[in-house]
Amino acid sequence: MTRLLALAIASAFSAAAFANASVGKPAPNFTVTDLDGKPAKLEDYKGKTVVLEWTNFGCPFVQKHYKSGNMQALQKKYGADVVWLAVNSTNKSAWDWTEPTKISKQLKDFGAAPARYLVDEPGKVGMAYGAKTTPHMFIIDGTGKVVYNGAIDSIRSSDVDDVKKATNYVAVALDELKAGKAVSTASTTPYGCTVKYR
Amino acid sequence: MMCADLTQSMGRKCTALAALLLLATGSAAAAPVVKTEHVQADLTAERTSVRPGEPAPVGLRLRMTEHWHTYWKNPGDSGLPTRIKWELPQGWKAGEIQWPYPKPLPVGPLMNYGYEDEVVLLTDITPPASAKPGTYPVKAKAEWLVCKDICIPEKGELDLDLVVGTGEPAVNPRYISHFERTRATLPAEAPGWKFESALQGGKLVVRMLPPAGATAPKAITFFPEREQVVEPAAPPKLTREGNAARIEMKLADPPPTGVTVVKGVAVSDDGWPGIARKAIQVEAPVSGSIAPAAAGTTKSSGGGVATSTAAALFFALVGGMLLNLMPCVFPVLGIKVLGFVQHAHGEARALRIQGWAFFAGTVISFLLLAGIMLALRAGGAQLGWGFQLQSPGVVMLLAALFFVLALNLSGVFEWGAFAQSMTAKLSARGRYADAFLSGVVASVVATPCTAPFMGAAVGFTLTQDAALALAVFAMLGIGMALPVLALSHFPALMRRLPRPGPWMETFKQVLAFPLYATVAWLAWVLGAQAGNDAVLALLAGLVLVAMGAWMFGRWEHAEKPWRAAVAAILTGTGLVVAWPGTLDAPAPGIPTARAGELQWEEWSPERVAQLNAQGKAVFVDFTAAWCVTCQVNKRIALHNDAVVREFGVRGVVPLRADWTRQDPRITAALSALGRNAVPVYALYIPGESAPRLLPEVLTPTLVIAELAQVQPAKSATAAITPADRTFK
Repeated sequence: MTRLLALAIASAFSAAAFANASVGKPAPNFTVTDLDGKPAKLEDYKGKTVVLEWTNFGCPFVQKHYKSGNMQALQKKYGADVVWLAVNSTNKSAWDWTEPTKISKQLKDFGAAPARYLVDEPGKVGMAYGAKTTPHMFIIDGTGKVVYNGAIDSIRSSDVDDVKKATNYVAVALDELKAGKAVSTASTTPYGCTVKYR
Repeated sequence: MMCADLTQSMGRKCTALAALLLLATGSAAAAPVVKTEHVQADLTAERTSVRPGEPAPVGLRLRMTEHWHTYWKNPGDSGLPTRIKWELPQGWKAGEIQWPYPKPLPVGPLMNYGYEDEVVLLTDITPPASAKPGTYPVKAKAEWLVCKDICIPEKGELDLDLVVGTGEPAVNPRYISHFERTRATLPAEAPGWKFESALQGGKLVVRMLPPAGATAPKAITFFPEREQVVEPAAPPKLTREGNAARIEMKLADPPPTGVTVVKGVAVSDDGWPGIARKAIQVEAPVSGSIAPAAAGTTKSSGGGVATSTAAALFFALVGGMLLNLMPCVFPVLGIKVLGFVQHAHGEARALRIQGWAFFAGTVISFLLLAGIMLALRAGGAQLGWGFQLQSPGVVMLLAALFFVLALNLSGVFEWGAFAQSMTAKLSARGRYADAFLSGVVASVVATPCTAPFMGAAVGFTLTQDAALALAVFAMLGIGMALPVLALSHFPALMRRLPRPGPWMETFKQVLAFPLYATVAWLAWVLGAQAGNDAVLALLAGLVLVAMGAWMFGRWEHAEKPWRAAVAAILTGTGLVVAWPGTLDAPAPGIPTARAGELQWEEWSPERVAQLNAQGKAVFVDFTAAWCVTCQVNKRIALHNDAVVREFGVRGVVPLRADWTRQDPRITAALSALGRNAVPVYALYIPGESAPRLLPEVLTPTLVIAELAQVQPAKSATAAITPADRTFK
C-alpha cells in the first residue's frame, strides 16, 4: 500500500517534471549558463529563429554527425540566419559528463560552430522540452513557437556512411522557414543515446 | 579492447569484427562466438540438419554484460532495435525477426523497452526446395545498440554452417534448451480474445475482451509495436470491466496519425487463461471511442446487469428504497416513522428539516463507506460491498450496537437516538442531530443486506472511476432515505397512520425483538468466522453491556454523577471482553448435507470448468454467513423439496462459494460476473458462452424454471464432447 502510494507519487512527479515542447506550442523559456559561465536566456533571441541541439560528445550518435562533419556544416551554413544553441543536459555523475574546459577543446577540434554551448547540468531545460536523446533537435521560430521537434535526419543509425543517404529534417525545415513556408515535416522520432538526466 | 573508451577514441568505429573470437568450428550449428565489449554474440540452429523447402529456426543469441541491455522492435524513448542482414546462399530466404516480449527499462525520467542479460532473436531460414544435400554457409551481419548509462553501437558478422539433408532433422542437444526458453517468451496468438482500441482524450485506450468463461489477468503491461504512439514513461492505467481489461496510456505528443490498428504485445506475469505463455499478440482495430462500458458480458435472466450509467443509477435508487424492507433496516426505519407520527400533527417545517437531516445522514454515510471501500480497493485489496462484515471485529461491534439499540427499545434505559425523537421536550436542534444520527445508524445496519437491484448497480461500480462509483452509492443512500423524506414532506400521508398514543410504546418494544434476532444472527456469523470461543466472548461481553445499560436506566432520575461513568466502564469492559482476537479458526467448510438437502460442494473455478467439461451443468451459490438475503434464499428456495428434486433430475451440481471471510478468488469470480456483492446465483450450462445469473431474491418456482433450461442429465452427458468445453 505504502509502496504503491510512493510509486504513484513518484510517477506523478516525474510525469509532471518531464514536459514536451510539441510543435505549435510556445517554446518554454529558460535561463542557463553557457560554457563561459554567462547566462543565456531564450528571451534574448526573440524575433530570431533558434535551433536547439541536444548533444553529448560521449554519445556515438552525436559522434556520427560530428565525425561526418554534418553538424558543423549545418551550424555554419545556417549560422547567419539562426541562433544555434547546443545544449548538454548530461548530469555530473554520468559516465560521459565532460568538464566545460574539455568541451571547449572538443568543439575546437571538431570545428563546431554553435552560437553558444549551454551547460544544462540539472537537466531543467531538457526536461522542459522533453529532450529524450542526443541528438534531439528543436527549431523555434521568430514568434517563439516550436516549429520542429525530432530527429536530425531520417536514418536511425550510428553509421557515418548513412549521413549522406539520409534526409536531413533540420536542413529541410530551416530552408522552408527561410522561404517563408510552413515546415512540412515538423515532428519526427528522435534517435540516439538516452539523455542522462539525474 | 576495441571499444575501450569512446570519448577518447572518438574517431574510431567500434566494430566487433576485430574482436572476433573463434571458439568452436567444424560442427554444423555450432558457430563462432563474436565477442564485443559488452556482448557475446553467436548464431545457433535448433536442429543438426535442414530439409529443402522447410523453414529452420536460427537464433541470434546476444549475451549482454550484467545490467547492459539491447532493444525491442519499439525501443521506447531512445535506443535502436537490433538489426540483422542475412547473407544467404542463392535461393535461400530469411523471415522476420521473431521478437520475444520486452521488459520495461526505466532510465531516469525516460523509458526503454528491451532485454537484459540474454536474448535470442529467432529468424526462420528456408533453403529452396531444390537445395542439394551439403553444407551451406549462412552469414548474418547484425547491428545492435547496447546501453547501460551509455550506449555503444556494436556490430558483428556471424557465421553458421547449415547442413541440408533429406532425413528427419535431429534436435541439436546443445541449443534445444535455449530455443525452448525463447519460444516461451514469444507472444502467442490469443484465440477467442477480442481487442479494441481508441485514441481519445490524449490517451490510447485498449480493451481486451477474453473468451467466454475466462478472465483477463490482474496485471497487464502493454507494449505498442509502433514508436511514437504512446509516451512510454507515463504510467499506464489498468481497469477491469467485468472479466475484460481496459488499459489507458498517455498518447505521444503530437498524437500519432493514420493509426487504424494498434498492434503490440500484452504481458502478464501470471500468464493468460488457457495460453501457456506470458505474452500475447494484440491487434486492436481503432474505433471512434471506447466508453468506459459496463460489465455487460454476462447474461442475466433477472435482476438485471446494469449496462449503462443511467440504468445503474436507477437500479441503485430502487435497490436503496427496497433496503428499507430488509430485516436489518426495518426496525430502525420503524422507529423513525414513529418519531414522525409523534410530530405529524406538529410543526410542518421542523418535520421537513428532520426529513432532510435523516437524508443527509444516510447519504453521507453511504458515501463514506463507499469511499473507504474504493480507497482500499485502489490500494489493491480485493474487497466488495459488505466487506466490513468480513472482519470479525466489525461483526462484533455491530452485534453490540444492535444489542444496545434493542435494550433501548425494550425500555431498559431511556437514552439515545430513538428515544429522543419521541420526546417533545427536546430542542429542535437536538431533534435534527438525532434524525441525522438515525440516518447514519440506518446506513450502517443496512450494509449486511443486499436488496434486489442493488447487486447489479454495485457490480457496475467495479468498472467505473471513483466519481461515478460514488454517484451510484450516493443513489443507494438517496433511495434508502427517500421514503422517510417523502413522509416528512407529506404529513397528510401520516395522518392515515393511527394517532399517537400508548400503542406506540408497545410497538416500540415489539420492534426490539427483530433487533435481538439480528444479534443472534450476528453471533452465528461471528461463530462461522472466528469459532465457538468468539461467540462465548461476545455473549459474555454483551452481559456486561446489558449491566451497564441497566444501571444507566435504573438510576436515571438519581442524577448521580457516577451513573454514566460506571455504565461507560461496564460497556467498555464488555466490548473488550467481546473483541474477537486474531482469528485463526478454520474457514467454514461445507456442512454435511442432511437428508433431503442439496449436496453442496466447495466451489473453485477449476471445479466449475472440470464439471462443465464433463458436460455437467453447475449451479454456484455465492454466499456469506453475514448476508441475510442469502440465508433467506437458502431456507426458502434452495432447501425446497421440489428444487432439490429438480437439481437431481437435471444433474446440476451445486457448488457453494463462501465469502463469509475475505477470499480474493471469490472476489475475482464475482467481478468477472460483473458483481461485487452477495448473493449471486450463477448457472453454468455446458456449451453456453456465459453463465446465467439468477435474481438476488429467489423463489422455488424461479429456480425450477431456470434449472429447466438444462437438458436432463443423461442426454446432456451424451451430447457434450470435450470439444464443446467453454470454460478454462
